[in-house]
Amino acid sequence: MRRDGKGTGMPTSRPAEPLDRCRVLVVEDESLIAMDLEGMLRRAGCEVVGPVSRVEAARRRVEEDDAPSLDMALLDINLDGEMVFALADALAERRIPFVFLTGYGPEVLPERFKGRPITFKPYTQTTLLALLVEARRARGAEAS
Amino acid sequence: MASANEIFVVGIGASAGGIEALEGLFRSTPAGGGLAYVVVTHLAPGVASALPEIVATFTTMPVARAEDGAAIERDRVYVAGPDATLTVEGGRLRARPVPPEGRHHERNPIDAFLGSLADDAGDRAIAVILSGAGSDGTLGLKAVKERGGLTIAQGTDGSAPRHHGMPSSAIATGLVDLVLSVEDVGKKLVEYVGSFGALSGLVANGAEERADAARRRICALLRDQVGHDFAGYKERTFMRRVQRRMQVLQISDIDAYVELLGREHAEAVLLFRDLLIGVTDFFRDRAAFETLERVVIPRLFDDGQPGDRVRVWVPGCSTGEEAYSIAILLRERMEATGATRQVQVFATDIDDLALETARSGRYPEALLRGIDPDRLRRFFTYEHGTYTLSRQVRDMCIFSSHSVVRDPPFSRIDLVSCRNLLIYLDGEVQSRVLPAFHYALKPGGFLFLGSAETLSHRTELFTPVDKKHRVFQRRDHVDTPLTVAAFLSSGVRPAGGVGGGGTGLVGSGRGATPAALTLRRAVEARMLERHTPAHVVVNREGDVVYYSSRTGKYLEAAPGQPSRQVLAMARRGLRLDLRVALQQAAETRRPVHRERVEVDVESEGRVQVVGLTVEPLPDHEADPLFLVVFEDDGPTLARGETSTARLPSEEDAALERSERELRDTRERLQATIEEYETALEELKAANEELISVNEELQSSNEELETSKEEIQAVNEELSTVNHELGFKVDLLNESNSDLRNLFESTRIAIVFLDRHAVIRSFTPAVSELFSLIPGDRGRPLTDIASHLDVEERLHQDVRSVLAGQGPVERRVIRRDGRAHHLMRVLPYLDSDRAIDGAVLTFVDITNVVASERQQQTLVHELNHRVRNMLAVVTAIATQTLAWTPAPGAFAPAFLGRIEALARAYGLVSRESWGDVPLEEVLKEEFEPHALGDESRLAASGPKVMLRPRAALALGLVLHELATNAVKYGALSVSAGRIEVAWGVEDGKGEGADAGRRLVLRWREVGGPPVGKPKTRGFGSELIERQMCYELGGEVEIDFSRRGLAATLAVPAGEGLFDLAPGG
Repeated sequence: MRRDGKGTGMPTSRPAEPLDRCRVLVVEDESLIAMDLEGMLRRAGCEVVGPVSRVEAARRRVEEDDAPSLDMALLDINLDGEMVFALADALAERRIPFVFLTGYGPEVLPERFKGRPITFKPYTQTTLLALLVEARRARGAEAS
Repeated sequence: MASANEIFVVGIGASAGGIEALEGLFRSTPAGGGLAYVVVTHLAPGVASALPEIVATFTTMPVARAEDGAAIERDRVYVAGPDATLTVEGGRLRARPVPPEGRHHERNPIDAFLGSLADDAGDRAIAVILSGAGSDGTLGLKAVKERGGLTIAQGTDGSAPRHHGMPSSAIATGLVDLVLSVEDVGKKLVEYVGSFGALSGLVANGAEERADAARRRICALLRDQVGHDFAGYKERTFMRRVQRRMQVLQISDIDAYVELLGREHAEAVLLFRDLLIGVTDFFRDRAAFETLERVVIPRLFDDGQPGDRVRVWVPGCSTGEEAYSIAILLRERMEATGATRQVQVFATDIDDLALETARSGRYPEALLRGIDPDRLRRFFTYEHGTYTLSRQVRDMCIFSSHSVVRDPPFSRIDLVSCRNLLIYLDGEVQSRVLPAFHYALKPGGFLFLGSAETLSHRTELFTPVDKKHRVFQRRDHVDTPLTVAAFLSSGVRPAGGVGGGGTGLVGSGRGATPAALTLRRAVEARMLERHTPAHVVVNREGDVVYYSSRTGKYLEAAPGQPSRQVLAMARRGLRLDLRVALQQAAETRRPVHRERVEVDVESEGRVQVVGLTVEPLPDHEADPLFLVVFEDDGPTLARGETSTARLPSEEDAALERSERELRDTRERLQATIEEYETALEELKAANEELISVNEELQSSNEELETSKEEIQAVNEELSTVNHELGFKVDLLNESNSDLRNLFESTRIAIVFLDRHAVIRSFTPAVSELFSLIPGDRGRPLTDIASHLDVEERLHQDVRSVLAGQGPVERRVIRRDGRAHHLMRVLPYLDSDRAIDGAVLTFVDITNVVASERQQQTLVHELNHRVRNMLAVVTAIATQTLAWTPAPGAFAPAFLGRIEALARAYGLVSRESWGDVPLEEVLKEEFEPHALGDESRLAASGPKVMLRPRAALALGLVLHELATNAVKYGALSVSAGRIEVAWGVEDGKGEGADAGRRLVLRWREVGGPPVGKPKTRGFGSELIERQMCYELGGEVEIDFSRRGLAATLAVPAGEGLFDLAPGG
């Protein structure tokens, strides 16, 4: 077991390079999970945007603030009772890839998001990071 | 008599109209009387009977079908089934199945049962005969009575029997103890059983001397009242009969009974009859019958001419046992000697029902005990519990209705057997019946009487052959003393019979003179009749009081008013002499004689010379009578011849003329005789024919009787079946009405389809699902529009069910989505379990579906929360591990946080994810750190309710603060305390809620001095994250030297808390 210098991460195998300097919007209402995700993404070399706990706040970020440079988003589906799908629509419109994270089962996804990457709580960092890499790669393929 | 010993068993026989009678009986029978009841009826074999169920509705006692081998128990009712003959053996029921081929034969199930019951239960048997046609039960009842049981028949008061046959037949035997209405039977039975117990000790214990004295008194009373001495009777038997009468009368004290006996002649007669019961059985008085067989029977065959019939007359034959016994003896004799003479036994009685029983020749076993087993085998066939006499014996007997007192007797009889009839007749009638027997018998014929019977004072008619066994022979030299009506004036002796032999006057009911005629008198009568001159008897006035025969020659009816005046009637020539002679005789009181009185005899002037004698009769001083005698003196003469001497020539001519006349007359006589003989022959032939016609008629009659019985039996079966049907129809109506109500009340939609999917019926609830109206019955289901989403599937399902592919179950939804139903398609099975259609049921499960959905949502949400929580726990673990420098510190730190989380969750879940008071969250998180000292926390503030989210976040924050206090702050020393105060404060923002927030101030007092830590720990990070990120609030921590002070603020905007009313 080893610790990184910042002391905010978990010992883990270094994920693949493709996430380096990748700007990832984290939308998660549970602060401890948000904290954990933040640490994980940082250790993976990402730049974390957020985290934000409300759809409205997240949309502001996407539309005004960091949108142009946003690479990806990690979306908790239920934000204290509010569904994240409106935000997902906004991201899809901007062709920003995103990965759903939820405590529900797969049936929670509306038809239009079927096929989108999704992982379920409790998540493992490995699975989550692999999904992000996959999503990013898909976008790269689409862009080229 | 084994186990039935203790129980009184009531055998109830009923047939047509019996169900009503049974109802009346059982409804009024108190339960718990300790009796057992067995009901035997005439039921059609092979038809299931609902009688036990029907009877069960009448009584609270348990009712069961009588099964073979069942022990008879108290307070139960057993009902005989239709296919078996029921009997009793050793206190158990025996049901012998009737073979199918025997089912349509006649049976006497009631006789069979009662007969066996009499044997088995003895004096504890009770026979009850209720409504029914025919005469079944009579013989069984007889057997019960004979063994000392109680016998009851349904009477006509109360609810009268619908069919009188069976009870009337039983009553006619004279053996019924009680004739009651059915409503009284039950009560009477219970009383009877009660008195039985009281009486049974009568003979046995202690009271022996008293009983013996009573017996002697009863014997004396009987001797006085009915003239029969029972002193020689067996004491036990005698007393049992007495007891029986006492039970019937329900007198428990023997002295009271003796008193009654002395007072009422009728009771003496009843007791007398009871004492003589049983002697009508087959060969019952064995010794007497043996005497008959040995002494009389051979002579019947030996004495007569080979062509003559042997004729036996059994008057008062009742149910025929005596007649058949004699017929059997005759048959045996015929077979033994090869005699070919025809034998006829005329058995007569006035009771037609008894005759009917007798004709059928069927007897229950109990009545055949006295019979020799060989005879039983030879002359009887056993069938369904009864014995039937063989045809050959029955054919010998002709049963007919005849009164020995009222009707003219039979004639040319060889043997009259009249056992135990005379005891029922009083002396006057007896003295008329005995001459009738005498008349009926051929010369040398025999009379056979019962052992208690005598010839009383008619001993001149018969000579005893065997005194002990009452066998007598006719005295031939005695002319039957026929009597004419006593229309003569008193004192005038009847002068004898009118013609020879009997002419039907015997037993004709007119008065009989008690005096017996001696031979001498008979001779005198004959002499008077044939060989004495004509005479009359007159009184002092000359009125004739008596005529002899042939007085017409001297007397003729006088013109004018009819008169008995002899002088008015005297023919011419006689009158003067008669008047003078009568006067002289009256005056002198001596006989007066006149010779040669000429009397005109004919109109042609012929004259008869007569001698006239008038003689006063002795012993009539007050009203003297005179005998007037006319004596012819020679033949009649022409007028004038009397005074002139007759000439010889004239005499010759007269002689010649007379001889010629005589010759002519003889020839005519000869011709007449021949004609007469021819006519006689013809008459004889006609008579023969008549006899044979009569026989044919007789046998046709018997056949008719038999058919009638069969028809009657069938009729009864039909009537019973009809009753049962009626009962079933009632049940059916009830079920139908139940079903109709069920249909109308049920909210379950049901459609019945026939095998072509055509609608048979449906419940009203169906209209919710199909556009059905009542008129749609008979239309195919496919024609009907449905509101369901699966119309085509439904028809497919129906087809598959009709094809026998098993039931189908499916959830269906109304097209408008308003309701969910569970549809079941089931095969409709007929009574043979074959598919005869389909039943569609629709159960409304809308609520169930809604609940299922709700449940699914809940499970969903729970999953979500659990997974989220696991993610949180994982995050805490990850973060705690990353922030904890020393490996040993990880566990307490991690566990502390998990526990804090768990406590907050505990609070929240205790409120079912509702609001939680802030104070409780505080106390809950503080408590593990207070080390059991609540006073170290001073909490104050209004009652604020936190949302679960806020409660969880604040719970963690407070935990971190408390942990820190324990490690470094006020709680690390014993004097340290913590003060927590909170309140809702309005901020400076705008709008209703703007700036309004919950502020909680944490202040540590009395702890060691603290300083701001050099590195920021995870605890601080956690507090900040929770407050700022999670709750959108603020946190300020002041590391003052006096102690740590933290200010936590939660904005109102997110609706994370509420100020409780009054808080």
